[in-house]
Amino acid sequence: MDITGIPFFLAVSFGGAFLAYLMNFAHRFLRNAVVLLTVSASAALLFWLGDETFSMEMGGFVLTLGKTPYSLFFAGIVALLAVPTVLFSFTYMAKEERPAMYYLNLLITIAAMYGILFSLDLLSLFIFWEIMTWSSFLLTIHKGGNATKAGVKYFLYSAAGAYAILFSVVILYNMSGSLLIEDVARSFVLQNPLMQLMLAGTLLFGFSVKAGLMPMHGWAPDAYAESPAPFTALFSGALSKMGIFGMGMVLYQIFLQSPFSLPVRELLAWAGGITSALATLRAIQQTDAKRLLAYSSVAQLGYIVMGLALGTPLSMMAALFITLLHGVFKAMLFFAVGAVYFRTGLTDLNELRGLIRRMPVSFLTVLMAIISLANIPPLGGFVGKWLLYESLIQSDHYFLVIVAFFSSTASFLYVYRLIFSIFLGQEEKEFEHVKEVPFLTMQLPMLALAAVTFITGIFPGIVLAPISSALTYLGFPIQHDMWSMSMLFNEWGNRMNLLAMISVIGTVFLTGFTILYFYRMRRTRYVTTKDIHTSGEVPTENENLTYAINFYQPFERAAHPVLSKSIRAWIDWIGRSVSELGDFLRHIYTGDGQTYAWYVVLFLTFMLAAGSWIL
Amino acid sequence: MEINDKDTLTIVEHIKNFARRHSLFVLAYGTGCGAIEIPPTMTSRYDAERFGIVGRATPRQADVLLITGYLSVKTLKRVIRTYEQMQDPKYVIGFGSCTINGGMYWDSYNTIKVLDQYMPVDVYINGCMPRPESVISGFIKLQQLIKAGKADGWKKYQENLDWYRANQKKVIKNWNMPDYNW
Amino acid sequence: METLKTISGYFATIGVAFTVGFLFMGFRRILTARVQNRVGPPIYQNLLDIIKLWSKESAINHGLMQHMGPAFSITASVTTLMFIPVLRDGNWFQNFSFEGDLIFLLYIMVFGQLGMALGAGQTGNPNSAIGVSRGLSQIVGYEIPFVLALTALMVYHETTSLHEIMAAQDSIGGWNIFVNPLAFVAGIIAFLGMTHYTPFDVPFAPAELASGPPSEFGGKYLGMMMTSGSIFAFAKLTLFVNLFLGGASNLLELLVKALALYLIPVIIGIVTPRFRTEQAILFFWKWPTIIGILSILWVVWMR
Repeated sequence: MDITGIPFFLAVSFGGAFLAYLMNFAHRFLRNAVVLLTVSASAALLFWLGDETFSMEMGGFVLTLGKTPYSLFFAGIVALLAVPTVLFSFTYMAKEERPAMYYLNLLITIAAMYGILFSLDLLSLFIFWEIMTWSSFLLTIHKGGNATKAGVKYFLYSAAGAYAILFSVVILYNMSGSLLIEDVARSFVLQNPLMQLMLAGTLLFGFSVKAGLMPMHGWAPDAYAESPAPFTALFSGALSKMGIFGMGMVLYQIFLQSPFSLPVRELLAWAGGITSALATLRAIQQTDAKRLLAYSSVAQLGYIVMGLALGTPLSMMAALFITLLHGVFKAMLFFAVGAVYFRTGLTDLNELRGLIRRMPVSFLTVLMAIISLANIPPLGGFVGKWLLYESLIQSDHYFLVIVAFFSSTASFLYVYRLIFSIFLGQEEKEFEHVKEVPFLTMQLPMLALAAVTFITGIFPGIVLAPISSALTYLGFPIQHDMWSMSMLFNEWGNRMNLLAMISVIGTVFLTGFTILYFYRMRRTRYVTTKDIHTSGEVPTENENLTYAINFYQPFERAAHPVLSKSIRAWIDWIGRSVSELGDFLRHIYTGDGQTYAWYVVLFLTFMLAAGSWIL
Repeated sequence: MEINDKDTLTIVEHIKNFARRHSLFVLAYGTGCGAIEIPPTMTSRYDAERFGIVGRATPRQADVLLITGYLSVKTLKRVIRTYEQMQDPKYVIGFGSCTINGGMYWDSYNTIKVLDQYMPVDVYINGCMPRPESVISGFIKLQQLIKAGKADGWKKYQENLDWYRANQKKVIKNWNMPDYNW
Repeated sequence: METLKTISGYFATIGVAFTVGFLFMGFRRILTARVQNRVGPPIYQNLLDIIKLWSKESAINHGLMQHMGPAFSITASVTTLMFIPVLRDGNWFQNFSFEGDLIFLLYIMVFGQLGMALGAGQTGNPNSAIGVSRGLSQIVGYEIPFVLALTALMVYHETTSLHEIMAAQDSIGGWNIFVNPLAFVAGIIAFLGMTHYTPFDVPFAPAELASGPPSEFGGKYLGMMMTSGSIFAFAKLTLFVNLFLGGASNLLELLVKALALYLIPVIIGIVTPRFRTEQAILFFWKWPTIIGILSILWVVWMR
């Protein structure tokens, strides 16, 4: 087998999974070594991946695998997040049950994601899609208990999406006689527009379920909250991006020529905007750190969909850039929340407090991540949002700018609540024993990703280079005057010099900090958080001095008209109604022979009456 | 850094001294009846802001602590804590006869008589209660003291901390204040 | 030599911004005093306050973030200033204004508030946390009309660069305050929220929250924050002068225009009581937002 071929690549990825499962019976260090080796080997192999495509016949269908610049970019995201994820899992999962199953499913999920990305035809894409759904479902329910319910919800949503995809794959195959995406795209333009609309609609629906676009986001908060933290990082950071990958493929490789393309994309952009605004409002209400981050993920995916649907070169650059950056900073946040959970066993924002001096590295991680999430310069998040806003303004979507900016500003609220409730505020005796997490397996992944947000904020060119080749593949003319290593340009020719930015911010910040730290250093005392202005009162040991519960009550009062409505509650109501209906129907089966006889008689009478009336 | 010695004052010290005496952030600890004299002092009729005197809400930002009347033992504890939370240089102004010698509470069982035994008072304003005019004249006196480098109660407090602490602990029975490490 | 000139230009800008900032704030105090039939402090009172705070002998902190909070604040102020062209043309006071654009300014302007919020968070004072909660909520309110106004200008001038927006307003009739008065109204109402003067000072309510987020900051920390506040006030005013009043070609013109703009929040602030947080948010989401949307529609219609 060719070492640079995709079959070898996938064989390594899938084979490592099963090898790790077997190694679990030998020793856990051996298993961990195999897991780490598999993930890093596949990440390394990505660099040497050859260009040739590979075909295989299976049951009369031809499965084709090959790499494109577009899929390579997404594969890079998967690889970038997969290595820290498994590294973080080693210590985190040591406490949990059934580690062998966990690693098996984790590696299969990663491998299936690579499979989806390197599929050149719709059938193999669907197969890998299903493998990914199944293995991620098993990971979601790993904890049992509440997680099972969340997992089933996730699975039902995914199944609906998957069958929508399968439905259109079958029709597309009938139309074009081939499953290759290129062939499908070629025959797609010949169809009648309404058919095109329906097929694209079902495909987009299927993919947007994974991306958690409203109103198909119902699974996301529960599934993210209940799955093990390292996997949640991958789940939100990479797995949900498969939906984005699929949507991009549908929109720009298959659907682009259709007369309905523009209105559908417009609709999608608004769906993305509304998703980001509503999910942000919802995130502000959450009291559980992981649920907060889950809603935040839904909101960020909304931005990506917005950029993806606009379809200008700048907006596509923005969408793909945010895709990467969201993966990175959301992984950091889930890692840090996981680290806090690992040490304290808590994710409730009303109970956690004052961990900053106990877990400084986790704090730094969260700080960098929220600066990135809130799009504040000089970190990477700013670059993505800069590109997005410029493209929104320049493609005349003025009101989308407002929606996007609203959710971006409102995201300050929940990120501050996250960092405040966990790390700042009063330091409590309850958390005095808490130690920082181990360096190699837990701090290192967080710090490495933090470095990524920093570097991409100054040199976005590192990421924009693969993005422009991916976009060139999708048919967007990306010229070299649209970006350079640390410069961004918009379509009006205005520029943003990131090196100048970092030098000003860095100089001023370092100067200010040095002055504050060293000026009268000997007469500057450190005092505990109990020594605060409390109108002269000495606080007692158990006095609650933290303002954490109902943190944004005034804001929630202002936003009450929106917040009081819930799509998820409505969908849950449908679910409950169905189950109650089933409960009611169950009473038909009384187990009594006479009742059944009555049913038969009634049925026959009904048939006779109906028959005679019809005839 | 000896601001007592007039001959060695540098230009920087002059500026600092000028700023210190013309920018007095006041924390009014509203004990006793004197609290009612503060609003007229601050507002339109007497306008203390002309002298750079403005009210602040927290001891961390304040320079001057106003003790506006008698202090019960219970309040004394809070006042001491508030005083210790203020940043150097800090000044104390005692209002009325109650802070000087106990005034009409001279034989009360639960008020302290001489404030100076518990914390260093820079300026006393006599009267029962002092009118806003005398309050302002007290502030002017404080400014003169700062100018002359004689408003150094905060230094005395640090130097004689043991003596002050002993006095404080004598009257305050349930002492649970944190220890300081100046 | 050229480098030396550039670097001294940076310091000159910061110096001018600081001086103008504290003088304006002193002017506000005098004006407030006159309205209340008082004499008021001398105009340089804020400078004295700042020097006094820096010359405090001691300080306390509750941890590293309390150093970083004011440092973030000064970073945001100075960076905002550096990326705004202070004067219309000429080599002086341009600094880094060619290197960034309005979207960048939008974000760097909130950087300081988030940093301050983090610093205030570590003090553990419940009043600070309440103030931060109110302040951040209020940001969500006033940023909406502000962005609407900025979008209207950016779309009208087809640029996101402050220089080009300034260059387009070459005569008094071309000033954006006359070309697009609706955008100006939306922007100036947002500016009221940004200044945190009444009626939008509920995050810092001194009597209720013990001055809110900075309630544990004293000495050098408060000094740094007030220094930063002076610079930031000037930077914001210059931004608004550049956006709506066509910029200024010399410092005197800039002072006059900035003072004219500054009088609006000051005079409104003197005579109004205070909004509650949710009232403030709903106010910003109602009238200024409607006016902002109308201004965009106006621009779209005019093009």
